[in-house]
Amino acid sequence: MFFVNKQKKIETQIAQYNRQVANCMDVFRQALQQYCDNFDREAIKASFEKVHKAESLADDIRQDIEVVMYSKALFPESRGDILNLLETMDKVPNQAEAVVHMIWNQYISIPKEFHSEIIQLVDICCRCIDAMLEAAGKLFTNFTNATVAVGKIDELESEADRIEASLIEKIFSTQPDSIDKLLLRDLVKNIAGISDRAENAGDRIRIIIAKRSV
Amino acid sequence: MLPLTGGLYLGWALGANDAANVFGTAVASRIITFRKACILCSVSIILGAMLQGGAGIHTLSGLTEQTTMTLLIISISAAFTVTLMTTMSLPISTSQAVVGAIAGIGLATNTMNWSGLTKIITCWVVTPVGAMFFSCIIYRLLAALIKYVPMSILTRDKILWSGLLIVGTYGSYALGANNVANATGIFSGQLAGISDSQLALFGGVAIAVGVLTYSKRVMMAVGSGIMPLDAFTAFTAVASMAVTVHIFAVIGVPVSTSQAIVGSIIGIGMIRGTHAIKFGVLRNIAMGWFLTPVISLILSAASYAVLVNAKF
Repeated sequence: MFFVNKQKKIETQIAQYNRQVANCMDVFRQALQQYCDNFDREAIKASFEKVHKAESLADDIRQDIEVVMYSKALFPESRGDILNLLETMDKVPNQAEAVVHMIWNQYISIPKEFHSEIIQLVDICCRCIDAMLEAAGKLFTNFTNATVAVGKIDELESEADRIEASLIEKIFSTQPDSIDKLLLRDLVKNIAGISDRAENAGDRIRIIIAKRSV
Repeated sequence: MLPLTGGLYLGWALGANDAANVFGTAVASRIITFRKACILCSVSIILGAMLQGGAGIHTLSGLTEQTTMTLLIISISAAFTVTLMTTMSLPISTSQAVVGAIAGIGLATNTMNWSGLTKIITCWVVTPVGAMFFSCIIYRLLAALIKYVPMSILTRDKILWSGLLIVGTYGSYALGANNVANATGIFSGQLAGISDSQLALFGGVAIAVGVLTYSKRVMMAVGSGIMPLDAFTAFTAVASMAVTVHIFAVIGVPVSTSQAIVGSIIGIGMIRGTHAIKFGVLRNIAMGWFLTPVISLILSAASYAVLVNAKF
């Protein structure tokens, strides 16, 4: 009988995955804060490494869940829905890792006048991920209530878009003409991309609920 | 004993087709394995036939007077009609084929029990309406449970999986109890040394053999016939079909599980919106419901007339 044992196992693993994604976003936020506070490549290396490790660990947990789910677990429809959701959610830590790689590989420096808004954008993205994790968690406790958290994702994603647009405008209006402008713009777009990925996961959650609505 | 083989064939055809009404959606959507569905279905059908099949057998055997020749004509006419409707891809109601054939003999010999026939035809009309009514009630109750009781999507799956097994088993029991009369009901009191209980057993086993040997294709095909069903709607449809067919088993009137399941699905469609219902499929079903008893009646009456004239 699958349902008695495996349901518990899957719910536990998904809760563990959610915690790992939250942890990844925490270290990402701390790393960006540290980078803005003290632009020292060597000092920041360890923090960026933490983001990479957190992302890898989230990947490992997701792969474990996939193995359990493919061993005849769940209704085929639910299996497909949950695996698709995990794939979509996994793009969030991937994007966080992509941002730190970008900063590291392209030697991007963030001018002081943008620090507060960049950190504000990072905070909004992290809150957006919190809402995504809350919605995903609700699917495994009280799925009809998950729509509230999905609504929160949409609001925060719009807020991130607004900050992104304002930052890009500021970058191009205040910086002297240089390649740095383009790099900074790409960095801002990549950070805001985190909330876009959360929105995609929110859309998947919305579909999962709609398919089960009665 | 020869006419009984016709009844056993009918039982086999009934099992091959009607098991799909009970477990078709769950098997087609891979919620339950075909093997598990077959075992549950076969055992429950035999139990239903043995424990509650007597009332239907009594009703059918009382419709008209029988001789060995008329028994043979009824069996063959009903079996031929079932086969004909299958080749025309129209949904089959074995109950209608058998009752149509009995009515043909009753008309030809002028021994028809009209009150019994009226009772059966009334039940045919009431079957889909009753199933529609039950599906609306079950749908609303289950919807309230899922909506207002906090649960994980996995718990929801667990409830529906267990529910589908339970209602599938119950539906199979009701199928055996109600439809065994179609297979062997007309032989009640006609064959020396064979009691009604033995007829119920033979009929139940014939239906179960039909399930075990030839039901897979129909089960896989029935999944989304009238409208696409998920686990929730499949549970509702099978549960209301089972309740309806069981009620008629207790009353003692063989009815069609196909008609009951169609009524259930229409009930669900009425709640969810009729846009999901495939009306072309419904039209074919309605045509099948009309044609089955009519063809069977004409066949048995004509066969009787030919055989009687040939004899004298």
